[in-house]
Amino acid sequence: MSPGLSYVVIRSHALMADLLTPDQMRILAAQRSLEGFIDYLAQTPYGRISVDTEGDKSLALEKVFYQKFIERMMSIVDLAPANIGDFLQSYYYQRFEVINLKRIIRGKYSGIPVSQIMESLIPIAPYRIKSYEDLVEAETFQDSVRWLEGTPYASLVSTLELSEKYDALWPLEITLSHLNASAVFKSLEHLPQRDRGLVRRIVQAEADVENFLVAAKQRGARDRTHSPEEMFPATYGINLDMLREAMEADDIRSVIEGLRSPYNEILVPLYEGDVALIRSRIRQHVYDIAKKGRFANDFGFNVVMAYLVFSEIEKDDLVGVAWGKTQGIPAEDILKYLAIPNFAY
Amino acid sequence: MSATTGVRPTKGYLMEMKRRIGFIERGTEFLKLKRDHLAKELTASIDVLKGRRRLLLENLRVAYRAVTAAYISLGPTEVRSQASSLKTGLELEVLPRAVMGVRYPFIKVEKEPQIAGELDITLSEAAEKVLAILEDILQLAEFEARAERIADELGKTNRKVNALENTIIPSYRQVIKFIEDKLDEESLEELVRMKLIGGALARRRE
Repeated sequence: MSPGLSYVVIRSHALMADLLTPDQMRILAAQRSLEGFIDYLAQTPYGRISVDTEGDKSLALEKVFYQKFIERMMSIVDLAPANIGDFLQSYYYQRFEVINLKRIIRGKYSGIPVSQIMESLIPIAPYRIKSYEDLVEAETFQDSVRWLEGTPYASLVSTLELSEKYDALWPLEITLSHLNASAVFKSLEHLPQRDRGLVRRIVQAEADVENFLVAAKQRGARDRTHSPEEMFPATYGINLDMLREAMEADDIRSVIEGLRSPYNEILVPLYEGDVALIRSRIRQHVYDIAKKGRFANDFGFNVVMAYLVFSEIEKDDLVGVAWGKTQGIPAEDILKYLAIPNFAY
Repeated sequence: MSATTGVRPTKGYLMEMKRRIGFIERGTEFLKLKRDHLAKELTASIDVLKGRRRLLLENLRVAYRAVTAAYISLGPTEVRSQASSLKTGLELEVLPRAVMGVRYPFIKVEKEPQIAGELDITLSEAAEKVLAILEDILQLAEFEARAERIADELGKTNRKVNALENTIIPSYRQVIKFIEDKLDEESLEELVRMKLIGGALARRRE
């Protein structure tokens, strides 16, 4: 164990105490108003949050929770030893950069004002590109994409033709997702052999469920422009045959029942078309993987990964609760879709 | 002020009054027919509205739950960002229609949003649920506007019928009676006068 890793592990252990407990999350979801939510949050390590009274408060709160998560993540990722740091940067920084690139391209495509596009970005510095401003200020969305020539996202430029042909953004979004997945898997090689298992389980479970959801969405589509091989260049626990079966199935239930555990449990809400619940379940599954990984080795990389996973799930849950509170959604309707209070489904 | 104030008790005026009251009574009958028809339309509309509203509320609840789930799952910024990538939005045309002269809006869907491919499956499921009931929402809105305007017109027609039956027609009848009484009185006076003159002339001849 390198001295660098020891420090990061100890730091992760210490920061773990700042995470909200399932009970605290339940109390936050049960608050009757946004003011109650902010007041209760002030009693947690988040402290008193000031939200601009003008504009959409849920967007302002989302930004605050993202900033908090990014702070936590950077305090770990930037101090991690090179091999672990490389992986974590790809896993987090590049993922957020890809999300921002998708938002910029969508904004440019629909002609949203520059300020509004900038407002929608996750507040994190660019990772593989020089700046977001140049992309946002480009004349057209095609110009924004062409601006990525010479960056790790250069393959987007060749996808532009397909995007223009269908007058749609999905070819660009699929390419961006694949670029991110490839980068994460490539950076896995930097991790020591013993630490790869945990990350692989997390990344693969997320990718498998996403692949299955994309396949399920294709059911009944008449004009499929992509073959399953093109749509799913990387498959893991749910292979291409299963995905093909899901795309062609009249009844998705039989396909899901044929999947191995945990997918046959995670994907059950698809019977009712409740995809959001599947996302909540996959978060719970990832939470479970990280927790078990931590139990297996409480003095290594697993602790760092567990802290970051818990922290990100907490951020996602808080964003959901904050939006629910601004809309006056009843607690039970919010709690249903949270991961932390429902952990161990 | 009495209805008979300033009334000229002449035969010509009486005939004019009788012509007018005939016209008003015919108008009142038409208004009564309109009132009955509007009441029938309103009852039918309310029955349809009740049924449709109950069904739509249930479907709306399902769609709203799906939208809520999408927001909680993806976060508001991501939902907005994805929704903004839809180039073909909903396009409507509002045209006028009329029943018994009552105008109400008719909503025609010109173009529906194309959600295939562009949205995340969570959002796409929610959008599909909203799209599925979009036509029902528009039809219900149209029906509600129709029922509201029919009810409004029914109220107005009813007030007109009541005013005609309870105020205008009785006042005309009062005027007619007044003129007829006056004219009868005058003709009686005339008869008495003629008799008196006739008696006086007979006495002078004797």
